[in-house]
Amino acid sequence: MSKLVLQSLTKRFGGLVAVNGVDLEMTEGEILGIIGPNGAGKTTLINLISGIHVPTSGNVFFDGKDISTFPAHERSKMGIARTFQLIHPLENLTALQNVMIGFMFAQGMNQKDAGVAAQKTCESLKLEHVERDVGQLTILETKKMEIAKTLACGPKVLFLDEVMAGLNSDETKDLIETVKRIAQEHNLAIGVVEHVMGVIKMLTARVIVLDAGEIIAQGPYNEVSQKPEVIKAYLGGEA
Amino acid sequence: MSKYIKTIVMAAVAVLAVAFPFYTGAYPQSIAQSVLTYMILAVSWDMLLRTGQISFGIAGFFGIGSYAAVLSMLYLNLPPMLTILIGGIIAGAIAGLLGIAVLRLRGMYFAIVTLAVAEIFRIIMTNLKGFTGGPEGELLPQLIFQGNPYLTYYLMFGMAVLTIIISEIFLRSRVHYALTAIRNDEIVARSSGVNIFKYLVIIFIVTSVIQGMTGGINAQTYGFVTPESSFSLDYTLLPLAMALLGGIYGTMGPVVGALLLGIVSEYLKLYIPYGHLVIYGIIVVIVILYMPQGIVGLAARIRKAGARNE
Ligand SMILES: Nc1ncnc2c1ncn2[C@@H]1O[C@H](COP(=O)(O)OP(=O)(O)OP(=O)(O)O)[C@@H](O)[C@H]1O
Ligand SMILES: [Mg+2]
Repeated sequence: MSKLVLQSLTKRFGGLVAVNGVDLEMTEGEILGIIGPNGAGKTTLINLISGIHVPTSGNVFFDGKDISTFPAHERSKMGIARTFQLIHPLENLTALQNVMIGFMFAQGMNQKDAGVAAQKTCESLKLEHVERDVGQLTILETKKMEIAKTLACGPKVLFLDEVMAGLNSDETKDLIETVKRIAQEHNLAIGVVEHVMGVIKMLTARVIVLDAGEIIAQGPYNEVSQKPEVIKAYLGGEA
Repeated sequence: MSKYIKTIVMAAVAVLAVAFPFYTGAYPQSIAQSVLTYMILAVSWDMLLRTGQISFGIAGFFGIGSYAAVLSMLYLNLPPMLTILIGGIIAGAIAGLLGIAVLRLRGMYFAIVTLAVAEIFRIIMTNLKGFTGGPEGELLPQLIFQGNPYLTYYLMFGMAVLTIIISEIFLRSRVHYALTAIRNDEIVARSSGVNIFKYLVIIFIVTSVIQGMTGGINAQTYGFVTPESSFSLDYTLLPLAMALLGGIYGTMGPVVGALLLGIVSEYLKLYIPYGHLVIYGIIVVIVILYMPQGIVGLAARIRKAGARNE
């Protein structure tokens, strides 16, 4: 059974339709690519699933349950986790403490257990310098910390919103391997938003292409990238 | 090493504070009680600030607690200690009801609304003449502990210790993580399972109970309430300046700030009436411009720099 089901999900901001009638299913162990030009509605789609926005119409089902109006913290507890396109490490806390938060509040652990669990998660991601203030981490370390923060919530479904942005090619390879590994280890359904198509090719079996809030194509990347409507969307409607 | 020093210093301060009334006259003692009062308010204000919410409503809950203590004694003839508790309970209950509406606001909007609410409390107390004594307020027939200044000092001291303990518990428990996350980024906090509204309401109630009880103790000590004195803007602005001077987001900052500013301003008052308010203004401006972490933050920076040079 699909872990996550979206039914004609729609979000309007005033006159703008950011997400328009999206139908989608995601199953455990699957990595789904979510691509589309700037402003296509990728981040908004994640916000609707994670509860940051309430849909204007349509529904979000998780484990068969309609969670369309559940608050974000409830969804986080149920196992929906996500990173943020504009990352916001929590300042005045160390990297380890940043990771502890999910263990404490999404998974209900006490402070001590959360510390141990966070340490383990960071080790599994080969994230060092966990005692450092978040401001002192390298970009790669920061990105790994952001992923560790989502794993701390005990996710079943995970969305990564442009986590590879800003990394060089070695770092990108490192993080691609990390994502593949956690998908297997935790049997996750992962949605990956990326503008770098190389990353999408290496990571995903299936992609959806969003344009102006609508899914205009889906399937394996190699097929989808040949479709005229996709090429057109990326070239700005002139091809 | 520094941990031992900290413990020793704290023990010394505690002994000093306890022994203090026996070696001084009535005047220093009344100053000390006033410093303790502001210290409690400063710490409680900081406790809410740790969520990112800036309250200008301290005087409101302080005044509510003052009135609740005096009126429950006058009308219900309750023992003074109980009326102080009632001051806290009523302030907390009002904070709970109010919080459900007000805590949806953020930043400047929250600040202004808390200021307005405090003002509304004052106006209500002024106008409920038959019940509250109107603009003249009410007088208690006798003071708590028959006016024994040692005991009132210890009562306020006990309240300060309690407040400091609660503040430290919050700083050392998971509450600290929730509040720091909320202050940093609410969307990140929510996405990590933090029920923001729950924590905001709890902290708002707890700090209001503290402020209400402190008002209750103060009213029982001096034996009267009036709208002007019980809801005085001093109870909002001075704790705020003290916390900023000492350093925010911790217990030590507001405590140090209250000690310094409280004592300095009492002496200034003698030489230039209202001069202390000018000094407050100047201090707030300097602190905000040049040492946003306050005295405690500055001390920590100096210590770190010293450690690096060794
Ligand atoms: N909170 C909001 N209020 C109003 N409009 C919004 C809001 N969030 C997004 N939008 C608009 O919705 C549209 C979709 O934005 P979204 O951020 O989802 O796109 P995206 O596909 O993630 O783009 P990018 O690749 O640049 O990150 C844009 O036109 C954007 O301006
Ligand atoms: Mg986006």
